[in-house]
Amino acid sequence: MKSINKRREALQTTAGIMLVASSLLVFDVAFSAFEDASLSFPLEGRAVGEFPDQWIHGSKSAMDNTDPAVQIHAYNDHTYILRENKAINYEGAFMYLFFGNGVAMLIDQGSTSSPALFPLREAVDEIILEWETRHNQSNIELIVANSHLHGDHYAAWNQFVDRPNTVMVGLTHEEMMAFWKIDNYPQQIVTYDLGGRELVVTGTPGHQGSELAIYDGWTDLLYTGDMFYRGRLYLDDWDAWVSSIRKLRSIADQNPVAHLVNNHIEMTREPGVDYPIGTTWQPNEPPMQMTLNMLDQAVEATYEIENPGIYHYDDFLIYNQVPWAYTTDP
Amino acid sequence: MSRVRAQTSPRFLLFAMLVLFTCESHAHLLNMTELHLDASDPRQARLHVKIDLGQSLMQPEIYWRAVSADAAGQAQLIAPAVAQLARSIVISVDGELVKANLQSWQLEAVSLDAIINPITPQMAELVFALGASFSPEDEVLEVRIDDDFEVPWPALLRVDYAGAPLPVSRLLTASERSSRPISLNGNSAASDSATLAGLALAFQSWAPGLSWLVIGFQHIIPRGLDHIVFVLGLFFLSTRLSTLLYQVSCFTVAHSLSLGLATLGFVAVPASVVEPLIAASIIFIAVDNLHSELLARWRLAVVTLFGLLHGLGFAAVLSELILPAENFYSALLFFNLGVEAGQLTVLLLAFAAVGWLRNWTQYTNRVARPATVTIAGVGAYWLVKRVAFI
Repeated sequence: MKSINKRREALQTTAGIMLVASSLLVFDVAFSAFEDASLSFPLEGRAVGEFPDQWIHGSKSAMDNTDPAVQIHAYNDHTYILRENKAINYEGAFMYLFFGNGVAMLIDQGSTSSPALFPLREAVDEIILEWETRHNQSNIELIVANSHLHGDHYAAWNQFVDRPNTVMVGLTHEEMMAFWKIDNYPQQIVTYDLGGRELVVTGTPGHQGSELAIYDGWTDLLYTGDMFYRGRLYLDDWDAWVSSIRKLRSIADQNPVAHLVNNHIEMTREPGVDYPIGTTWQPNEPPMQMTLNMLDQAVEATYEIENPGIYHYDDFLIYNQVPWAYTTDP
Repeated sequence: MSRVRAQTSPRFLLFAMLVLFTCESHAHLLNMTELHLDASDPRQARLHVKIDLGQSLMQPEIYWRAVSADAAGQAQLIAPAVAQLARSIVISVDGELVKANLQSWQLEAVSLDAIINPITPQMAELVFALGASFSPEDEVLEVRIDDDFEVPWPALLRVDYAGAPLPVSRLLTASERSSRPISLNGNSAASDSATLAGLALAFQSWAPGLSWLVIGFQHIIPRGLDHIVFVLGLFFLSTRLSTLLYQVSCFTVAHSLSLGLATLGFVAVPASVVEPLIAASIIFIAVDNLHSELLARWRLAVVTLFGLLHGLGFAAVLSELILPAENFYSALLFFNLGVEAGQLTVLLLAFAAVGWLRNWTQYTNRVARPATVTIAGVGAYWLVKRVAFI
């Protein structure tokens, strides 16, 4: 009788174990059929996105500014554009956060170091957490990279050095090029796989000797950093900039481009007129994104300009080798 | 060596314009400080300091006078600033201070107005020879700016060292004035461990590792379901607290050991082997629970063995993350502590949920046994899944 009971108990136990295991397997198979597959970033077609009607642009009195320190704008599901409040630093620099499978890349870290004044890490962590939740991913890697090596684009770099699961590309030319695997700067054009999202990266010096441009084939955005934007284009090396601008045109010839995106807005809506240098208030700013027609104007300028000086175009000013000029007045 | 970059006198206007066009520009005219410690030739290490002196350590008018003076006059006028820089930029190699002596300088300015205007930085470059020669045996470098010393922030530090394939960059700010230890023999954590000095310095900067505590905890709750189930398997063996304590101690020591060894590269077992074995360990523990009431010695040995296995599982997870080179050991330590905290939380929650029923006569039949059967079932599910899909 005892052995029958024991056998019955063993059978019940085995049946119980099998029931639990098979139920979970059935549930798992059923659930996986509905589960999102890994994200795909096809080059065909265009992942569209939107820009805000108006970026936060400082205020008449910087002290009384109530806008957030970091404006977060989702261009689309996997592309974020951030802007530092101009009331905190007049540069009002833009930063970019691109997502791929299991990885995000932050390009540039603004012009203010203090996390109290400019909590960039907090903003980026918030975006990543929300993105992870939305796309059923966890602990994704963050790459902290830079468009070029000027202090107004890496001031908050330290906020990320102790961040877990983070790659700090580094703030020297050599570290940057080693990361991107560029061994022939600036000529080389490389492709970088950001978790299935293909970025085309190349050197675009002229404004600064380590500058990079990035073409994102998924969104068709061409990121031109500080070497081409609506503002004062400070150029150290004219010949290098000429080559860089023409190279951008050639990339745009070979690839569809939706918008040119960049790091600053310094022009007003009035053609050829910029806001005063150092202003912390830019009401009625023009959009940040630029068009291929504007790039064509820059290409034309490379054939027109022969000497150092300040040159006015509708959508940008060229400060060709005039580093100490801090006014556009004659 | 010093060089005057501009003069106010009209007769020098043409010269000034020519020089002006050769100057390096400063992007958006921010005057952040740059420090370059060049020890690519260890016998002639130099510190290059690029700084907006007229906006920081010197009055604009005095800086302008210095720019316009001859070499001897410049040396005299910049001497107080130089002394401050040499005293307040503290460089140490393997814990020993390195003395800096001014070797050359170059002062730049186009006008007093430009010096005064904060958005048109007029940068000076000072080169210091570093007193003690660096040697190939040097392990750890640290550069720090004294707390009571202000420069235009942030200060970008670049270190070039002989034999290092790449320079190292650090950003010093008003609130983070130390470069933290920089390994001179390559950027790997292993090189930091080569000497006690390296290890001690690596641990000096343990604070940033605290965030790894959270990551370790998260790898139990909520992400370490298999480890949670295993720990619950240990919990349901017996109602005696000592039984649980012995098992958890063995499990903890073992998984800490294998986690450390695997992360340091001493042990490597592929996930395709480890993961199914972890699932099998859960089934084993649960099935044993159904047949045992007391803790046998052999079970402790088996739990220890399984602990080693689970440690390899944690190491696999950790290998997918990026451990910071300069905080490697503290990150590893805190990750492990986070795992322990997670385990402890699981046990506390188990106690809170069913611990108060442990003296109930039906506890084994109505609580422990069904729970154990479920645990074995979950283990079987994982085993099938991991064998089939890994």
